[in-house]
Amino acid sequence: MKLILHFLKPYRKLCAFTILAMLLDVAGGLVVPKLTSDMINIGVGSGSLNYMIGKGMAMLAVTLIAGGGALLGSWLCADLSAKIGRDMRNAVYDRSLLFSAHDFERFGTGSMITRTLNDINVIQQSVVWCIQMVLPVPAVCIMGIGMAFAIDRVMGFLLIGVTVLIIVLAILVTSRASAIFGRLQRLLDRMNVVLRENLTGVRVIRAFRKEKDEEKRMRRSFEDYARTSVSANLLFAGLESTAFFVINICIVAILWLGGDRIGAGYMEIGDITALTEYSILILFYIIMAQMVIILLPRARVCIRRIREILETEPEIRDGAERMGERIPETEPAAAFEHVSFRFPDADENALTDLDFVCRRGETTAVIGGTGCGKSTLARLLLRFYDVSAGSVSVNGKDVRSISQEELRNHIAYVPQKAWLFSGTIADNLRQGKEDATEDEMRRILSVAQADFVSSLANGLDAHVAQGGTNYSGGQKQRLSIARALMKKADLYIFDDSFSALDFKTDAALRKSLKREVADSAVLIIAQRINTILNADQIIVLDKGRIAGKGTHEELMKSCPVYREIAASQMKGGEQNG
Amino acid sequence: MAENETNLFEADQETEIPSNAGRTVLRLWEAMGRQRIRLIIVFVSVILYTVLSVAAPVYSAGIVDLLWKEIQESMGGCSAFRVTWDHGGMEIMILLIIYTVTGILYTFQSFLMASFAERLSLELRTRIGEKLNRLPLSFYDEHKTGEVLSRVTNDLDKMAEVMQTGLLKLFTAVGMVVGSLIMMFRFHAGLTLIFLVFTLLSMLSTKLFAARTLQYAMRRQQAVSRVTGQVEEAYSGRTVIKAFNQEENSRNAMREAVEELADTSRKADFMMNAVNPFIRLVNRAGQAVIAVSAGKLLLDGVLTVGTFQAFFQYVYQASEPLTEAAYMINSLQSSIASVERIFQLMDEKEIRPDPDVKEETGDMMEAGAGVHNVRPDLPENENAEGGKEASTRGRVQFQHVRFGYTPDHILMKDISFTAEPGRKIAVVGSTGAGKTTLINLLMRFYEVNGGRILLDGRNTGAMSYDELRRNFGMVLQDTWLFDGTVAENIAYGKPDASREEIIAAAKAARADFFIRTLPDGYDTVLNGDAENISAGQRQLLTIARVFLCDPPILILDEATSSVDTRTEMEISRAMNELMKHRTSFVIAHRLSTIVDADLILVMQNGDIIEQGSHRELLDTGGAYADLYNSQFA
Repeated sequence: MKLILHFLKPYRKLCAFTILAMLLDVAGGLVVPKLTSDMINIGVGSGSLNYMIGKGMAMLAVTLIAGGGALLGSWLCADLSAKIGRDMRNAVYDRSLLFSAHDFERFGTGSMITRTLNDINVIQQSVVWCIQMVLPVPAVCIMGIGMAFAIDRVMGFLLIGVTVLIIVLAILVTSRASAIFGRLQRLLDRMNVVLRENLTGVRVIRAFRKEKDEEKRMRRSFEDYARTSVSANLLFAGLESTAFFVINICIVAILWLGGDRIGAGYMEIGDITALTEYSILILFYIIMAQMVIILLPRARVCIRRIREILETEPEIRDGAERMGERIPETEPAAAFEHVSFRFPDADENALTDLDFVCRRGETTAVIGGTGCGKSTLARLLLRFYDVSAGSVSVNGKDVRSISQEELRNHIAYVPQKAWLFSGTIADNLRQGKEDATEDEMRRILSVAQADFVSSLANGLDAHVAQGGTNYSGGQKQRLSIARALMKKADLYIFDDSFSALDFKTDAALRKSLKREVADSAVLIIAQRINTILNADQIIVLDKGRIAGKGTHEELMKSCPVYREIAASQMKGGEQNG
Repeated sequence: MAENETNLFEADQETEIPSNAGRTVLRLWEAMGRQRIRLIIVFVSVILYTVLSVAAPVYSAGIVDLLWKEIQESMGGCSAFRVTWDHGGMEIMILLIIYTVTGILYTFQSFLMASFAERLSLELRTRIGEKLNRLPLSFYDEHKTGEVLSRVTNDLDKMAEVMQTGLLKLFTAVGMVVGSLIMMFRFHAGLTLIFLVFTLLSMLSTKLFAARTLQYAMRRQQAVSRVTGQVEEAYSGRTVIKAFNQEENSRNAMREAVEELADTSRKADFMMNAVNPFIRLVNRAGQAVIAVSAGKLLLDGVLTVGTFQAFFQYVYQASEPLTEAAYMINSLQSSIASVERIFQLMDEKEIRPDPDVKEETGDMMEAGAGVHNVRPDLPENENAEGGKEASTRGRVQFQHVRFGYTPDHILMKDISFTAEPGRKIAVVGSTGAGKTTLINLLMRFYEVNGGRILLDGRNTGAMSYDELRRNFGMVLQDTWLFDGTVAENIAYGKPDASREEIIAAAKAARADFFIRTLPDGYDTVLNGDAENISAGQRQLLTIARVFLCDPPILILDEATSSVDTRTEMEISRAMNELMKHRTSFVIAHRLSTIVDADLILVMQNGDIIEQGSHRELLDTGGAYADLYNSQFA
């Protein structure tokens, strides 16, 4: 609720106008029957035709004003809903950008998408319904009863009685209905889950020969759902029937008591019509409001889910220091000082006591088996995670002491999984350098061995599908390398970025790379020994620890782990890259 | 109101036209079975209800006139008029009785229909549920999950809803409109014509609105897709966004897409919100004109007070169903289309039923002799005892297997190989080379078009599904867990497993540790989105599941990249543990797997182009050597 008010706050005036327009509609609905009854009274009395036409004109006027109010209200409501939806989506997205990798993983990509899209839809819709259906109810009740009192005191009390009766009824039904609907929603979800499981898990189910059990499981969820559906439907049917019945009783009462009051001269015959209309209108609004209220718990869940995002404090915060304009040449581009890292839910360190530096003009390579923590290393440098012990510094500054933006300005990164954004190839390259010229881009593409771009129909403007799915793994990787090379950085990180390239391309790429980034530090994370054979420094990781440090030749002599990797990759003929 | 809450964005999709409504309705009628009698009872009740509803206003008109007469008479006298039993009271009471009976009928038919519709959809749903297990795998490959799911849930729900409210409404609406119009004409033809003119106007404007609304809704749908794409992309590629300091640009792109959505939603919402007020405006204007005309008639004495009021009641009774007619017909049509889709699903071709269990010993012995063995260095001593009951040792032979997902498009032309018990077979090849197909045939998810597959000498095609599949354990990349506790998921293949067995399996799969860190340990419920455990941990659970079943043959699809590094390490350890002493087929992505496999099958375009050990194949210097150099390392 607080969340909704927070987002409604900027639009206080708009809200007020919306409600006002809605009230105009309600008032019109109440005045028209009054005019009708006046006409009857004129008709049975000795009124003139002109007087009758006057009333008719008044009725048309009221109809137009009320209709105008309703249409205006519809527009304002749509506007309000669009605005709060937009604001919420922007707020959620802005917040998500502040999240660390770990913050984000807590929600998961799928859930974040659902929250940003569907949950906010539900909230928008609920707000609109509340404004259109719930807020006018008190107004209708008060105005309706007021007008009844204007006709006759007894009739006024009768209408109070009827209103109270309907409200009590509505409350009774609502309290039962929210329970039933909550259950219905759960069972519907359950049914969906079981069915989805049966559809997606068809191979597993058949492999485990569980068809009969699954049939039973499905049947159970169907039956539960059907049973609750029936009771929900019965509840509604019951509500409708009772509501009709109350109205009918009310009409009979109006006739009987009204007859007396007319006989006694307190009211006129036409007023019976007006009173009947009032009671029907009150009933209608209360029932509609009740339907909306029944659906609100769903919105409450969505609100909670949005609040969770907005209230999550980002785990990684910017430091206040600056890196400074001039960085001494001798300062290593990156340094790990006794770094240990442990995932928050793990029992052992992913990385333990890493200590090494990456110097400018040198290539540092990290090699190790799957799951030895190689990629984590890159993520620590980029500060997607924070170290558990020790420190990581870039250009002599602890990464935690400076802003993330400044830190990342000095690093160019090629992720393990090449991810391209939808748009054109040029759009993707410009992420590395915003004002890059076409010539620059072509040159870099050639460095990255991505000359295939020039053979595409649109060249640099060739279309890229979401995630880059319209390119092969190797092409994606080369484009992703080109994007990183567009950026002038002190440190280039290649996280297993040559894996989808064949040996020839790999070799050519490394050669041209050497020239391109000669003055910067290069960190290559690799699984393939050929890729790193000529590195100035090779770090061998084994189970998160440094098992060896040195050049290829040194390691071949001194490091058994390294020898083992080399042997497994080179048996069956020496491969040179 | 209730009906359009679920489909926010599809609220106004085009109406689907059923292709053969008559036949579908007839089939549905048959599907109702014994429930038909209920429908007939409801129908009778509806007729009674309509007659009474149409009669009530005339009767109340009589009462008002009576009261009015009495009041006017008594005005001449000295005492004020009071309603007593003899003066109007009895008539009012009869009116009350009419109302009560109408109410009872209404309640009765609503109740009957509610359970009728739900029972019918339960019946159909259960039938589909059973059908799902008899559909061939090809069905699942050809249809999207969401599509099938929507048939079983949405389509059936739509049918049920139309059945219980729509059908009833339609029945009564027709009766009401006809009845009311007859009464109205009897009161005054001219007034009725005025009413009809305005009703026509409001029906026309509904149509106009609907066309415009559809247009706006489509534009909004485009904006929704755009935002969806933007959001998916931004969330999936957020590391890149952050690494390149692209937050500002990404934020702006998002702002733009969201703004467009807000803009189109505003218009589409307005159109949807505005229909009803607009129709009300037209109808009220009509009522004003009718009121003036009727007032004149009242002055002239053509109408009485009672008939004046009754006429208005008929106006209400008739105008609502008339303006809603288009909507009602639409929803009826689309629900028939829904039912049609459900029947389509039920008519899908089914898998071959299990063969009658018969001994195939002769065939098997012969088969054992005919094997062309690819690895002659292995002793061939299993054949003799291969046929003994339940003594699966895990020898798998493919003999000249020929297969295509569609018979006119053969993918595998001629595949033969032998997997000896306890050996590790790595299957490599690029995407679409047929690795998964091989597994599909082995498990008999698909039937071969030619040749045969032998398991310990027996033709798998002649075994029952149950008998065949109990020999296999599968760990797929697409980790399938169901909505239940961790323990239940591990025990999926062996529901009667003890807690100790489950824990032992989890330990073997290296999943025990993380399970213990979960809030309720082994009793933690894995929810649908499985937000509580990671992709890698899910994989560990599926490995534990196979450990518990302890099958002689394994099928493993190695995880690629969706797993975080730490868990990936655990997974490969667990898989290696699992493969010990079992015949295992591994769809390989990892160097270590390929290198130490006993047999490597290199697949290309559906066929095995090379087979042998790592060293043998590298020495040959053929396709494997190329593939190895370019893709794995």
